[in-house]
Amino acid sequence: MRRVWWFTATARTKARFVRTIFGSFWLGLSNLLSIGVLASIYYTLFEYEDFNSYVVYLGIGLVVWNTLAGAISSAPNLFEQNHNHVHNTNLNPIFYTLEEWAFQLQTFVQSFLLVILVLSIFQYDLFANLLIVGWLPLINLFLFIYWFPVLLCVLGARYRDLYQLVPIILQLIFLLSPILYEKKMLGAKGWTADFNPIYQILKPVRHSMMSGELHIGQGLFLLGVNIIGIWIALRLINRERPNLPFLI
Amino acid sequence: MLKPVVLRLEDVRLDIPVNTTETRSLKASLIRSVTGGKLSRRRGGAVITALQEVSCTVREGERVALIGHNGAGKSTFLRLISGIYQHTAGLLEARVRVFPMINKSFITSSELSGMQAIKAHYLMVNGNLRGFEAFTEDVIDFSGLGDFIHLPVKTYSQGMSARLLFAVLTACTHECLALDEGLGAGDSSFYERAQQRMHDFLSTTGTLFLASHSTELLRGFCQRGLVFQEGRIVFDGPLEAALAHYHKSA
Repeated sequence: MRRVWWFTATARTKARFVRTIFGSFWLGLSNLLSIGVLASIYYTLFEYEDFNSYVVYLGIGLVVWNTLAGAISSAPNLFEQNHNHVHNTNLNPIFYTLEEWAFQLQTFVQSFLLVILVLSIFQYDLFANLLIVGWLPLINLFLFIYWFPVLLCVLGARYRDLYQLVPIILQLIFLLSPILYEKKMLGAKGWTADFNPIYQILKPVRHSMMSGELHIGQGLFLLGVNIIGIWIALRLINRERPNLPFLI
Repeated sequence: MLKPVVLRLEDVRLDIPVNTTETRSLKASLIRSVTGGKLSRRRGGAVITALQEVSCTVREGERVALIGHNGAGKSTFLRLISGIYQHTAGLLEARVRVFPMINKSFITSSELSGMQAIKAHYLMVNGNLRGFEAFTEDVIDFSGLGDFIHLPVKTYSQGMSARLLFAVLTACTHECLALDEGLGAGDSSFYERAQQRMHDFLSTTGTLFLASHSTELLRGFCQRGLVFQEGRIVFDGPLEAALAHYHKSA
């Protein structure tokens, strides 16, 4: 069924930008617009000295955050949105999670590549760092945006409050995560970033691309966490499968 | 010689929980978990027994009509044997893949073209694109959409959408088909061609479960009838006898 969920995800991406002039370039353009505006404001606000470094720091953080937030915010309602097919076809519910994951991946890749291309003006070795050391943090990001939303979509099918709660929590996490600012500015409250799971996925992607360094131990640890997370998510979805048509 | 068994149900029961606000509230669940249930109201809501004591054996090639009033359990039975619902008790053994045709619609967005809708359906049924070109030619030819196939489905009239959907659904063969009511075929000028197509389609289906209120449709394609009443099978036998039983008890 891999070809099916990949195809339907691609079809969704195409449908999203039908009748627009720039098509899927809007994914990158919208991110670049946000980066440009936020960078010019917060660079002044936080009194950074090096604009080039800050815009790259903000840009990578923002595009990765947007992917994480997009995957997480769409999760609680995933089965509800597909309720017609859940009730009338015998597709394994995992299909819908994989389709959503493919959609988020495609969205990320299209926006990420354009953003990195533009940010290379400010730091020329971004692409090289991405290819040499950025692969493990990216793999961890891709795995995380599968299993964590799966947990939320299964819980969201049962607990309808979650759909209301997730956007609020995401806003708070965004403000608590060193995306617009550096972690050292949190001072004594820096521990909040250490216990922030979403920031812990985002940080290695940004760090590896900006510095060209890979913390292999941290990367492998996160990989282990992701593998366990996928196992738990798949077990949960299989356990809830008999109930899903009756919950939505 | 008896054909092999494709479906066997023994004393199958299906309970459908009716989820209330209490069971679907995160707050209520957290309170229950902290207080050990002492301060909670009665947990859970109602449970509807949609099917009970359902037993039958179906062999390869059989054409089985599902007969009963609205709410008798016909569509629920189709969903059960297709794997959409999972039984609560009893034994259900399906030795073939049952393809459900219950609520017929495209799986792609209406913003996308008819061609993409065809491709998505083909991939879902077959898992690959082998034979896709011939399939597409057949669908386009039969539906009569021509170049419209490359336009978004939302630009089609209701008749055009119905013709395309009918053509797509009847272009594949299935080992075992669970069909709820017939297939809408669009406008009357299309009707005669659709009748023959429907006949050919159902003739090539391995095993058929057809739920319908149309006696004509059932007589056209089925030899055996299961009469449902309040979630139970009250009659299992030759179609004419099943229809007589149903009309007598109606």
